[in-house]
Amino acid sequence: MKKNLSVLLSLVVLASILLAACGGTKATEAPAVATEAPAATEAPAVATEAPAAVFKTATGAWSQEPDNIIPYFTQMSYAIWIAQLTMVGLGEWDDQGNFVTELGAEVPSADNGGVSADGLTITWKLKPGLKWSDGEPLTSADVKFTWEAVVNPANAPLSRVGYEKIVSIDTPDDTTAVIKFSELYPPWQTLFTQGPNNSGSLLPKHILDGKTALESDPFIHQPTVASGPFVISEWVAGDHMTLVRNDNFYGSRPNLDQVNIKFVPTPETALAALQTGDIDWYPDFSESDITTVGALEPAIHLKVVPGADFEHYFFNEGTTAGVDGKGKADVNGFCPFKDVRVRKAITLGIDRQAFVDSLLAGKTTIPATQWPNSSWSNSNLTPDAYDAAAAGALLDEAGYKLGADGIRSGPCDGKETKLSFNFDTTDKQIRVDIALAVQSDLAKIGVEFKPNHTPGGTFFAGYTDSGIMPTGKYDMAGYTTGFYPDPMTGVMDSYSCATVPSAANPSGANNYLICDPQLDPLLAAVNASADPAVRKTALDAVQKYIFDQYYVIMMYSRANVYGYVDRFVPAAFGFYSNMNWNAELWDVK
Amino acid sequence: MWAYIARRSIQALFTLLIITVLCFILTRLSADPLAQYATNPNMSAADKEALRERLGLNQPMPVQYLKWLGLAVHGDLGNSFFSKQPVSLMISQRLPNTLKLMLTYEVVTIVISLLLGIISAVRQYSILDNVITTFSFIGFSMPIFFIALGAMLIFAVKFKEWGFPYLPTGADIWDQKDPTQYIKHMILPVSCLVIIGTAGYARFVRTSILEVLGQDYIRTARAKGLSNRVVLYKHALRNAALPLVTIIGLDIPGLLGGALVTESVYAWPGMGRLFWEYAQRGDFPVVLGILLIISSAVVIFTIITDVVYTFVDPRIRLN
Repeated sequence: MKKNLSVLLSLVVLASILLAACGGTKATEAPAVATEAPAATEAPAVATEAPAAVFKTATGAWSQEPDNIIPYFTQMSYAIWIAQLTMVGLGEWDDQGNFVTELGAEVPSADNGGVSADGLTITWKLKPGLKWSDGEPLTSADVKFTWEAVVNPANAPLSRVGYEKIVSIDTPDDTTAVIKFSELYPPWQTLFTQGPNNSGSLLPKHILDGKTALESDPFIHQPTVASGPFVISEWVAGDHMTLVRNDNFYGSRPNLDQVNIKFVPTPETALAALQTGDIDWYPDFSESDITTVGALEPAIHLKVVPGADFEHYFFNEGTTAGVDGKGKADVNGFCPFKDVRVRKAITLGIDRQAFVDSLLAGKTTIPATQWPNSSWSNSNLTPDAYDAAAAGALLDEAGYKLGADGIRSGPCDGKETKLSFNFDTTDKQIRVDIALAVQSDLAKIGVEFKPNHTPGGTFFAGYTDSGIMPTGKYDMAGYTTGFYPDPMTGVMDSYSCATVPSAANPSGANNYLICDPQLDPLLAAVNASADPAVRKTALDAVQKYIFDQYYVIMMYSRANVYGYVDRFVPAAFGFYSNMNWNAELWDVK
Repeated sequence: MWAYIARRSIQALFTLLIITVLCFILTRLSADPLAQYATNPNMSAADKEALRERLGLNQPMPVQYLKWLGLAVHGDLGNSFFSKQPVSLMISQRLPNTLKLMLTYEVVTIVISLLLGIISAVRQYSILDNVITTFSFIGFSMPIFFIALGAMLIFAVKFKEWGFPYLPTGADIWDQKDPTQYIKHMILPVSCLVIIGTAGYARFVRTSILEVLGQDYIRTARAKGLSNRVVLYKHALRNAALPLVTIIGLDIPGLLGGALVTESVYAWPGMGRLFWEYAQRGDFPVVLGILLIISSAVVIFTIITDVVYTFVDPRIRLN
């Protein structure tokens, strides 16, 4: 009897868990509102009512699920991607990195009167007859509402950079937005436009007007309207999104009737899914997958697009004394790195082309400056070639002689110092592999390079969490970054004396801990004009100065690596903007 | 009995408290939630500082913990730092998927383990026993990611290449209304989990049955002239299954945590993946929410198991 009771109890427990499982199913179907979006339900009807028209569907996979669809409230690139598919802005960047219009009728310029003589007023003209996917007009009032929502203290966007410099937006008519700035803001193209490092989707006033705390509003998880080529009809958390064609999209009718996005966390699974045809494309391969994916041609096509991000190594230039009282760091960097000859020798002593050829299948390049593959790049500069002999000569000249243990040492600030130092980066496999190659190269010139690999969450920790970079607890470090779409995006924060992090300035973002009185004015000059030609000249000078100082070692320009099956026909792959910037042109064979 | 349950429940509360403290410290030390913003060029230093303040990360760690705990005791697990959604909603979206996967795995594993364990015990040292034992050891020592990726390669990629009917790669739930689709998507992940789980359980059943078969009362049952079948199923198995019931009882709470590797490889939208994705980002409200649910289940099921013991074994008295 007692044994039966125990079995019964066990069954009850199991049954309750089972019931919980069944009862919870509705939670995964949460975006019920989105499912009711008119376009979603109408889409299949088109196929059934017109048998001649083929209902075209394509399925892609992303390695992560976006936090939400509005990049103002998240920095996930996947949120930018879904925004490009569903919630677009006034402009975007094309496959060559050029700024082009999206909802805007033309790019404002001095010639067309869009940019005032003093550069303080930008006038955007919208395309006529724009509509949200629910048929409501999309007007300049939505532009103004977007600005008000971003700067409203009751909302919590990640950044208000640029938007806080706007003093007013006038909307004389439905297609005109006159944006007035309090001061010159040369990167105005990054506002109200969507793209990488950017968050410019227009928000629908008719849906969100009067609401606050938009960062947690259901709309950003269960959007009911769209301005892009597709509308989200279903979003099953952690699993997939279904997008259907937005029949009110301004541009050409999207070729695909439906786009499915699966969330597949591992590239191995994605590769298998491409091989079985479960998915049509995967945009999240890394450079180390190039050989594997490339071997599957012609069944699976490999597309490698070198972008504007770059992997770089850099030296800790921190100094507790600062320069002229500015830019004081908590600690002094490794003493020999103060000498430009040492920095140059280490740069020359790394055979970058060798690991680009071997580990990166030769599919990317070594850039000269921090603006790789871009029209902003200083084309007069070329990266130094590997030259161990010249590196050794420079170290000799700097006073670092080879010791019996094969490691050089010499006087630095009156102290005998060995050229033996730590290098910190994340534990990503490609970084581990490349660091080993660098270690081997530098050993040949008598430099001991000791890599430490930590998870990204630890490596990139902020000052208050004792992060190694802001607190200056490193000798050399390396990671990927990029300054785009505006060439000065993030640059001032990265290199200015004012942004050197320290106990007195814990929010400083200058991870190099560089405070160079000659560099600061060069940087300021780039943002002193709204004229692209003037800015380019000033930026060339910045690049030349950083190049000559060997503050950073440009390892390689990062590439976006895509795999797609033959039936899927992608459009031009973006330079800044990945493959989603023109999704209306995607097709299937 | 009731005094015992009350005492254990109070102990459980303290245990849970200690678990949350430890989990909080480990989570906070393992990753800075703002680390991923470190290289975001679009966020100014002031933006990052404002975000740190908004999330309460500028406060001392004990204050951060107490604030979280204050909400948790009122049933509010807080909001994710990143998705801004309530943690309870995020968990409720993933838990059903994990339970469907893990309960199927548990049931199939128990059935197969009982079969293999009984065969192995009854035919001790036979070829069949040796084969089962060998495969048990192989399964037990095989890493799950190897089995999962290998199974995907063979039964999805290669089967398609060879022109055979093949299984889907990602175990996503496309058509939840179509049970055949659902089952098809579950075959590979469940099979991989079963291979690992069966290896351990089958060995346990075998050992347990062999131990019982050596008892005096089994000899007595045989002396009474009972058939082997009756001796095995009526006397030996029922007694041998008792420790198995205990182990299963203690395993059930672990099922709530999902199967991290299997869920990742097969893109199964369950708790394991949720935990991993948000732990990497240092989103401690999500991580602590999941850990709190799992540890609560462990504590509760431990008490239930102790109570069930008294019914199973009359020699045990809880007082």
